[in-house]
Amino acid sequence: MSVYLLNKILYLLDNDADFRKRIKEDPEGTVKSFPLTGDEIEALILGDVGTLYQMGVHTFFLNHLGRYEMFGVNRDNYLERIRSHMEYDPRFELGAMPLQYVPKES
Amino acid sequence: MAKLVLAAGVPHPPRLVREMQDAPGQLRGEALFKQVAGYFEAAAPDVIIELDSDHFVNFFYANVPAFCVGIAEESEGPEEIWVPMPHYVVKGDVKMGKGLLGYGLKSNFDLAAAEELRLDHSMMVPLHFLNPNMEIPVIPLYVNGFAAPTPTARRTFSLGRMVRKFVEQWEGDQRVAILASGCFAMDVGGPLRGWTDDNWVGTVTDLLENGKYETLARRATAQRMADAGNNSTELLNWIGLTGAVGDTKPLFVENDGGSGYAVWELEGGRK
Repeated sequence: MSVYLLNKILYLLDNDADFRKRIKEDPEGTVKSFPLTGDEIEALILGDVGTLYQMGVHTFFLNHLGRYEMFGVNRDNYLERIRSHMEYDPRFELGAMPLQYVPKES
Repeated sequence: MAKLVLAAGVPHPPRLVREMQDAPGQLRGEALFKQVAGYFEAAAPDVIIELDSDHFVNFFYANVPAFCVGIAEESEGPEEIWVPMPHYVVKGDVKMGKGLLGYGLKSNFDLAAAEELRLDHSMMVPLHFLNPNMEIPVIPLYVNGFAAPTPTARRTFSLGRMVRKFVEQWEGDQRVAILASGCFAMDVGGPLRGWTDDNWVGTVTDLLENGKYETLARRATAQRMADAGNNSTELLNWIGLTGAVGDTKPLFVENDGGSGYAVWELEGGRK
């Protein structure tokens, strides 16, 4: 298990413009360049936020998936995905993900 | 001797500056920040010590200090591209920051120090409102609020007490403001996004209003803060601040959906 590396990939996505360019151009190849397990690679490239959350990836990093619209994750499906392995909780009815202001990069 | 003249706690909503442009004069956060800014203007501090929790912009799991003093000549932020607000250069106060580091270590606080910083929105949103044109130097005092396990609230409270003692023995004659950045209770990017733990917000507000700071530090266990939402351990910054204010009660405590705002005027709080 390398939750550390999963966190790191998403940390770099947010903090390193060169890495962001690289992972946007070649999402799958970039993920596979890290020594992750098969399950981890699959969860990430499927944008399976719920499984990544259960694995222990930090929510601040998961949030970047929706923010940068990586691996099919976006503002509209993020909450449904992160809750996918959880029991229903009435608090789920509240709120939504906020509008993001991410500038277009070349 | 230097003097602590003002203490304030505020949140750091990353999109507030932009949302204010879209709806000027309509947001409670704008009004509350302006209210707090009035006290900063009146107090005219020479330096701001800002308690804040880095949101994985300056630190990562490779190395996360429990407490870290920023001793950079100057730093820039916000570094996240998704925070729609002006980008600033913030002056440090290297001499006083190193003074705090040394005093903290002598007082048995094993502080880390950083000579280069990447400031995130949690450091910058408060400064945008409270430090116009970034004229006042800032000493960042980071408290790990997000990479569990975090320091305890009681230890963070003691850290604040140490900061007060440091200021009062410092050889300079600076007027010092201490600023805490963080919410009372909030979920950001977690499964409970949108829910606010009003029960905990009420408890925190009540204990702050009544000056029961040590009670708050006892009750703010890691579990209780985590139960209030994945962002709620930011309360540690407020708890550090209460360690510095002594017996003084706040002039007001307000909250806007789990985001707290409060001001303490200390002796000589108006210049």
